Amino acid sequence: MSNTFYSNSTFLAILVLVVVLILITGLLYAIQRQVAKMVMAKHPEDSEPSYYNRVIKPVVSDWNPTIVTLVVIGALVVILGAWGYGYGMNEVGVQQGYSPDQPINYSHKLHAGDLKIDCQYCHSTASYSKHASIPSANTCMNCHKGVQLRDRYDGEVSPEIQKIYDAIGFDADNGVYIEDYPQKPIKWVRIHNLPDLAYFNHSQHVSVAGLECQTCHGPIEEMEKVYQFSTLQMGWCINCHRERGIDVENNDYYEDLHKDMKAQGKHWVSVAENGGLECSKCHY
Amino acid sequence: MTNSNQYWKGLEEIETSLSSTTNQGEFGDEGLPLDEVFSDSEGLSSNRRDFLKYFGFSVSAVALAACNKAPVKYAVPYVEKPENVTPGVPLYYATNCGIYNEGYPIVAKVREGRPIKLDGNEKSPLASGGLSAAGQASILSLYDVHRLPNPVIDGEEQEDWAEVDKAVKAALKAAGSKGVRIVTRTVSSPLLQNAINKFKEAYPNTEHVVYDPISYSGILSANEQSFGKRVIPNYRFDKAEVVVSFGADFLGTWVSPTRFAADYVQLRRPTEEDSTMSRHYQIEGLMSMTGTNADYRYPMNDSKHGLLLANLYNKLGGSVSVPSMDLPANALEKIAADLRSAKGKSLVVSNSNDVNVQVMVNAINDILGNYGSTIDMGTSLNISAYDEAAFNNFASDAGKGNIGAAIMIGVNPVYHHAKGGALAEALKNVGTVISTSMNMDETTESASIVAPDDHWLESWDVKEPMSGQYTFSQPVISKVFNTRSVIHSLHTWAGNDLTGDQPVMDLAKAYVSDLGAPWKQSIHDGFYSKPVASEAASFVANVSAAASSIASGSSSDVELVLYQKVGVLDGTWSLNPWCHELPDPVTKVAYDNYVTVAKRDADEVFNLENGDFVKVTTPNGTIDRLPVLIQPGQARGTIGVALGYGRKVNKQESNDLVDLGKNAYPLTSESNGSTSYLVSSGISLEKVGSGYTFAQTQTHWSIEGRDTIREATLSEYETNPKVRNEHAPHIVSLWNEHDYSKGHHWGMAIDLNACNGCGSCVVSCSIENNVPIVGRDEIRRRREMHWIRIDRYYSFNSGGEALTKEKAIDSKVDGGEYDHYEKVSTMHVPVMCQHCDNAPCETVCPVLATTHSTEGLNQMTYNRCIGTKYCGNNCPYKVRRFNWFRYNLNSKYNYHFNSELGRMVLNPDVTVRSRGVMEKCSFCVQNIQMAKLKAKRENRKLAEGDVSTACQRSCPTNAIVFGDRNDPNSRIAQLFNNNRSYKMLEETDVKPSVVYMTKIRNKELEQETTTSHS
Repeated sequence: MSNTFYSNSTFLAILVLVVVLILITGLLYAIQRQVAKMVMAKHPEDSEPSYYNRVIKPVVSDWNPTIVTLVVIGALVVILGAWGYGYGMNEVGVQQGYSPDQPINYSHKLHAGDLKIDCQYCHSTASYSKHASIPSANTCMNCHKGVQLRDRYDGEVSPEIQKIYDAIGFDADNGVYIEDYPQKPIKWVRIHNLPDLAYFNHSQHVSVAGLECQTCHGPIEEMEKVYQFSTLQMGWCINCHRERGIDVENNDYYEDLHKDMKAQGKHWVSVAENGGLECSKCHY
Repeated sequence: MTNSNQYWKGLEEIETSLSSTTNQGEFGDEGLPLDEVFSDSEGLSSNRRDFLKYFGFSVSAVALAACNKAPVKYAVPYVEKPENVTPGVPLYYATNCGIYNEGYPIVAKVREGRPIKLDGNEKSPLASGGLSAAGQASILSLYDVHRLPNPVIDGEEQEDWAEVDKAVKAALKAAGSKGVRIVTRTVSSPLLQNAINKFKEAYPNTEHVVYDPISYSGILSANEQSFGKRVIPNYRFDKAEVVVSFGADFLGTWVSPTRFAADYVQLRRPTEEDSTMSRHYQIEGLMSMTGTNADYRYPMNDSKHGLLLANLYNKLGGSVSVPSMDLPANALEKIAADLRSAKGKSLVVSNSNDVNVQVMVNAINDILGNYGSTIDMGTSLNISAYDEAAFNNFASDAGKGNIGAAIMIGVNPVYHHAKGGALAEALKNVGTVISTSMNMDETTESASIVAPDDHWLESWDVKEPMSGQYTFSQPVISKVFNTRSVIHSLHTWAGNDLTGDQPVMDLAKAYVSDLGAPWKQSIHDGFYSKPVASEAASFVANVSAAASSIASGSSSDVELVLYQKVGVLDGTWSLNPWCHELPDPVTKVAYDNYVTVAKRDADEVFNLENGDFVKVTTPNGTIDRLPVLIQPGQARGTIGVALGYGRKVNKQESNDLVDLGKNAYPLTSESNGSTSYLVSSGISLEKVGSGYTFAQTQTHWSIEGRDTIREATLSEYETNPKVRNEHAPHIVSLWNEHDYSKGHHWGMAIDLNACNGCGSCVVSCSIENNVPIVGRDEIRRRREMHWIRIDRYYSFNSGGEALTKEKAIDSKVDGGEYDHYEKVSTMHVPVMCQHCDNAPCETVCPVLATTHSTEGLNQMTYNRCIGTKYCGNNCPYKVRRFNWFRYNLNSKYNYHFNSELGRMVLNPDVTVRSRGVMEKCSFCVQNIQMAKLKAKRENRKLAEGDVSTACQRSCPTNAIVFGDRNDPNSRIAQLFNNNRSYKMLEETDVKPSVVYMTKIRNKELEQETTTSHS
């Protein structure tokens, strides 16, 4: 299971493989040249220009060796640099595109996209808590007590749905919950990780600001497997706070602010203008 | 009239010879040992090459360390989400605080199923909303690594409770005719009492013995003699206009201090409209926290209190024949006059545990007509019913092998009793000792079966701390360990097998319904009150006999008073680092107990210096090595040692709780059938060493004698409400002023009249804001991390000269200094970040890590901080703290931050700071943000009381008020305009967001101060 965007072990394995293959290629090439030399020594009349001399040399002989070297080095720098940048950003917690395998192959495309289930049906706490929260297994059971997709699996319960039953202790054949079942919580891999030093509250953005989930989480209704859409970097937060306004009209909390704006003839105020860029709004 | 008091914090400030601890840098920075590192000299351990080697190593080490994979994080939701439990949303439950017998009603804040903060239940008549320092700290006892994870039978851990029950029942059966003894603290829980009764029915040969660590049997016996009722009555400090306390530390440790403090302060806050203020006299040998708050304080040896009381009784109209005695300057007559004019509105209390002294106290209160007004015999406090005789019988029966089985419930007499060592031996002769202790304490070591009780935050209970007042406990966390409520255990052992998931809840429910109280409402509120008929008390004791017994008592040149400290109390819960990290309110020493000695005694009688080690020899026992602390304000001839130290730490651990202090309980004795905390003769001190450095915070963060405190007398205040604040400083501003007139502008007001220095706010702040515990050694280096400190200033009048380090008075030069040392008056000033509108820290930060918000908050952004400490140096209030270590990862700081269990108490909304950054009070910005968000979600404006800081909530006397200054109707806006309010160091034009309110003492301008030398 690849759990990070750039998995270290996979990369190492490929690197070793590439080195081995290059060595083998070099070795074979050397053997082949040795054999060719020996053949030429025996039968000079048969000698035919090698593939290299025949095809590559006429092309390459005109190239400027300095430029070629620079181009090769440049290409290496670009490739390794891109990899290093991605790797480094991942190391400091910027995991845009992070899409780990999950214990259940849950499809947001199917549920949120095709079936059009409201996000907050499952992520119900987003409107009043800091966390949007992954729904508990009993929320899944609201539908999946009935939806078992037996028609697609030769009369058996879908293996992915069965995982919910295994967690909560549901006997699908008899349609009853198993008593005294040792329930096993589902260990989802967390995709969106903010560092400990940043405080983020979903309800502020969902309930108060009225943002769509997609604003930060991207086209979630099209994702078979969820990936991190935004960078979740501070600059990304700040930009949004600069660009978006506060709905001062419909929230009595902002009554005084609204009065002030009216007095000044202003119709719009950004989050930033109301102190939304101040450190201790998020860092404490 | 100018304020001519000289304020000073520690002896080293006024004695040039004692300045050693003030030489350190501001942040305990001793400088880098650069010479050593860069020197090429052969003799030194490292040279330039080594430096390069280490440099190279550290570069590659950093490179290697950076190659870790970003950790995979999991999000594990509930399988079935409990109703109301939402990750990220706190729940609050009313319950009560189990560290006191007083069943103090509290509210527990629970996040994700774990309690993280306790506060007083302000709705309850028994609590003001505040909670004492020890009560705040007690939450850590839930997540204590010392707790037993399982029951223990014969040294083997046993997971199955059925096996425990089998073993206990076998032991009880084997006890046979010798019988069973159940030893408990004073039972204030009717459920426990019922369980004991059930147990007695099943085992008729059972005796119930009450044992309390601190005895109040002097009061109990005196009330039995005086009124025929062996009870502790309810004291009404809120009705007492004259309070005379003979040594009773009723604000800190005596009987029910948190509630008394809340009551007491109600008559201590004069306003311009109503300047009624109580007058408080304190006569004491030691310097207690209560004494520091008194209007008049007279140092007087505790052994003479009885005689003084008898003389006071005579002055008030009584007539007993005792030798006449008075306080200096005929003060006893003054006290008597005040008492006479406040008949029925006064209160005399004493800390003495001698029945005769307490009878005398009762006689005085009776003659003053205080019974029925300030003392209510009808409502008794069920906090102590300890009878020494009954327990002594138990101990001697145990020693003789006359006890078949003993069940020790929540008691630890092997530690707390004077003859604890002998008791441990005696318990070996008991058939089976069963303990229900949560941890392996000194008494439990003697037990062959340990059936650990639930923690009080894990269990159901009902308590009746005061007649007619019921408080309810409910579990706020599922059990952390394999424990069982002792009520459940007793029922099971009695053969009354309880059924159901929560049998103790069912018992509580049945009890509540018998009370006629609504179950759900009672549990929701946490308390239920039932009217109690008031009772007339008629005084019948023989005062003359008591007086003659007092008169025949002897006193000697040196006497020892054993006292409790505010944080540690009796020591039952003293394996809690928060209790020790809190500096004592008076001595400002963290960790350690010590021998307090008056300055003159140290110089002239014992020839001792601060930090010398002494061997204390008394007729009851000796303590072989304790450091000496010279305590201003202490009476000559009295030395003091704190109880509650010297606990045995069982687990293998290395921190400052191991070998902490010495146990002073063996020095207590019994006289007149009561435990005596006063050893009045046969005491000698022998110097056995010197050079101890206390972890004493008193001179840390010194503000160099600047004028920070305002103090006036009540008469001055009545004629001039702006007394001491008349002169607004002339300010030339260097600042571009900000505009804070829009939105919120947070501010805090601290009433120095209400603050009694108890330190509850300090502990509360540490818990709320994840402040690390640094230990004794770091405190010696002045690296304590507390975001709020309570400065304690001593003062004496000396002719108007300001006292600074530069103008230090050497005691050897100043001839009359001993008067000063005894007649100090004391101030407590809590200081935290003042959130200056023109903050000097902000202008010096090179990386903008500390900035200002539009709401007037001085923000500290840890991740920007590079640790230059410029801000701390430029702060005039010295409230910034530097993180020297990663306390949560460093094994040297082996406190709760370092254990999985202990970390459960951390506040998930506040960052755990790392090494190398500055931190300081944030005005609990997490609570401000949370309250604002709640208001926004509920589509309303922020209301008064929505936002609170941890220090404010914990304060038992409501000395701290916090709120939005821009809301003209808020309390804080009014307090900012109050004539008594002043800003500390206003002349610097930093414009602090905190105002202090001048301390008013209800005393006359003393004649003696004006005659003193200048």
